[in-house]
Amino acid sequence: MYRNDEMMKKLDEFLPDVQKPSRYIGGESGSVVKDRENVDIRFAFCFPDTYEIGMSHLGMKILYGLKNKVPNYWCERVFMPLPDMEEKMRENGVLLYALESLDPIRDFDFIGFTVQYELCYTTILEMLDLAGLPVLAKERTSLTPIVMGGGPCCCNAEPLADFFDIFAIGEGEEMNLEVMRLMEECKKNGSSKAEFLEKAAQIEGIYVPSLYDISYNDDGTVKAITAKKNAPEKVKKRIVKDFDSVYSPENFVVPFTDIVHNRAVVEVLRGCIRGCRFCQAGFIYRPFREKKSETVLRQTKTLCENTGYDEVSLSSLSTSDFSDIEGLLSTLTDYTSKNRINLSLPSLRVDRFSEKIFEEISSVRKSGLTFAPEAGTQRLRDVINKNITESDVLNSVKIAFEGGYNAIKLYFMLGLPTETNEDIRGIYSLAKAVIEEFYNNPNRKKGKAPSVSISLSTFIPKPFTPFEFEPQASEEEIKAKQKLIMEICVDKKISISRSKYDVSLLEAVLARGDRRVGKAIYLAWKKGCVLDGWDEYFDFGKWKEAFFECGLEMEFYANRKRSYDEISPWSHINMLVSHEFFVEENKRAHSGITTPNCREKCADCGVIRNIGADCCKRI
Amino acid sequence: MPNVNTRVFFSKTDRAKYISHLDLYRVFQRALIKSKLPVWYTEGFNPHLYIQFMLPLSLGQEGIREAADFKLTENVPYEEVTQRLNSGLPLDLRIIETTCPVMKNTDITQAEYEIQAELNIDKFREFAKSEKILVEKKTKNGVSEVDLKPNISKLEIGDKIILRLPAGNNFNLNPSLLFEAYEKFSEEKIKRLKIVRTNIYNQNGEIFR
Repeated sequence: MYRNDEMMKKLDEFLPDVQKPSRYIGGESGSVVKDRENVDIRFAFCFPDTYEIGMSHLGMKILYGLKNKVPNYWCERVFMPLPDMEEKMRENGVLLYALESLDPIRDFDFIGFTVQYELCYTTILEMLDLAGLPVLAKERTSLTPIVMGGGPCCCNAEPLADFFDIFAIGEGEEMNLEVMRLMEECKKNGSSKAEFLEKAAQIEGIYVPSLYDISYNDDGTVKAITAKKNAPEKVKKRIVKDFDSVYSPENFVVPFTDIVHNRAVVEVLRGCIRGCRFCQAGFIYRPFREKKSETVLRQTKTLCENTGYDEVSLSSLSTSDFSDIEGLLSTLTDYTSKNRINLSLPSLRVDRFSEKIFEEISSVRKSGLTFAPEAGTQRLRDVINKNITESDVLNSVKIAFEGGYNAIKLYFMLGLPTETNEDIRGIYSLAKAVIEEFYNNPNRKKGKAPSVSISLSTFIPKPFTPFEFEPQASEEEIKAKQKLIMEICVDKKISISRSKYDVSLLEAVLARGDRRVGKAIYLAWKKGCVLDGWDEYFDFGKWKEAFFECGLEMEFYANRKRSYDEISPWSHINMLVSHEFFVEENKRAHSGITTPNCREKCADCGVIRNIGADCCKRI
Repeated sequence: MPNVNTRVFFSKTDRAKYISHLDLYRVFQRALIKSKLPVWYTEGFNPHLYIQFMLPLSLGQEGIREAADFKLTENVPYEEVTQRLNSGLPLDLRIIETTCPVMKNTDITQAEYEIQAELNIDKFREFAKSEKILVEKKTKNGVSEVDLKPNISKLEIGDKIILRLPAGNNFNLNPSLLFEAYEKFSEEKIKRLKIVRTNIYNQNGEIFR
């Protein structure tokens, strides 16, 4: 087993002086250590956020296990150190290293980032820099390391195009191994980076941004996107067709220190049947596929036994949409309750929240429950195709109150298309109705008061959704809406939290940005922006300066209504759902017409035409 | 307090020296679950696996004979307990021996440390001869000043430094205090300091069992 002893010695000099050093040293059970001599391809899997966040991410665990199953490939983990650690590293000339070997990642074949949210972009640059690498792809001329990106944000990777060599569009299980095999070949043949990139572009789902030229119209919109050197005109998202037999990790790296989600996680389904019009995940992860109940049970057992976790959670976009959810839960709880394991179920929809489901999960712990009506009136919920009713919400709340809960959290968005003051008032009315529901329960515990916390986020239009054409509401509009609800909210049992507009604005800009936005990201990073997702590090002033200095306007990207025939910066990416479908859905939204979910009726979104009817068979 | 019947001695070295005392509980808990040993859980509203660690080890310090107690509800040969636990623990935490508790944890009064430090050895010898070695010790009630000198029951200075200090629930002195005092005395910054707790003892200087 290999370990970089020299690095260990260096780290020993300052690790005792940083906060929670165990997150910087590896050695956890479940971590994979190989003999360096027998490894041909090394992959540094980077999560551009802290250890606590990154270690909670299921995608990383899947790809980590999958790559390490290949005897001559070694995948290791890398996270962003917090400022106290980073300072020490820079002071002592320690380059960013991988946690398993403690080797600097500069010498790896691949540096892969999972890009889960827009606010991590500057952190990616910081990590490359801390690794001792140029952040700009064109300045990295040797074959290795190849800097690769994957994850949801890569469906519009344009703002990141200057920094990455390749992007994996879609599900990574097969693609990752394919590019690693290609690298193995290229290293043997002594190929150049250019040769590698041209070949990589031929792998389905791999997007090589340097092989595409972008031209712009005078008004700043995209004029044309042209593929070079045989790269496909449209890069088509990869999916795993046989989801039931897809690789599932048998073990996790179990951290020493506590992390955000410190538990076993089993993926039960991918994709979503719902089609909420604001939700990017609902479209980019299509088609809907689920595992068999026995597969989920087997994977749950294996994982719990190998990790020693006493908590397991089922992961998906909407777990209650699993066809046989009640059957699945009763099989699972048979196992978990016998073994003192808590089962937790995030992502339940209110219209599928039955007493039966509630009973299965309520043995865990009775804190608060969260529901997401997203909008305050039925009219607006129809516009966004949320397809739940007020009585769905109240019915769920009733079950929860009867089950002993008294704190309910409700999620809403402000600034949704067509929103009026009536919809804002509706948020408050719904919260009031929830409170009333508590007092309608004759068996409520005396002396216990209900509480409702309303959480208000700002709507962010995302690519590959029916709302990709929509302007984000301006700061004035959002502030007026926030003020209105604060004014009408007089009930002390209802509390309201709001998100900061600046953060949502930046997210909107980066989400629908074009390749020129990369310059602003670079400048913002140069000015010191990093870990933008953390309140304590976010500095909007610097971002404003950065955009100003490169002559770009945030409003152009965030607050502009886009026409249906505008060429979007991401129009060369095919996420399987068609542009025509998004246009149609956008029109239906503005007419207040809902669209049935995939199980009720196929909406002809484009997935079947792209990859064949059998992909949606099990819906 | 349950009647514990199983005591493990373990080493916590290398990467594991950065596992905090709080996190150590979780690590052992998971190893015990994985081992499928018949471990006793606390009774009551929120049952949890019962483990008691004898003596916290400072973050960054290693230990080669640390102790923890738990209770098994069925007889399992000690050899097997060691083996099954080790297969679930991270590599740098190793069970050395499983036994039956002989002494109580309150019997612990001293601990011995083996220390490697990059420092001026002659200067350190001179420092060790000081009449008083005053250090600031942080306690629950704030900072108090303690003279280390009369509390050092053993100090051998060679390639390695062997040091024995009071340890236990009543009065515990961290060996790093001695080196902080030396840094003040010599105005030298110690670059590397490796502290290994080698053993724990009772009042009579007997090895804790």
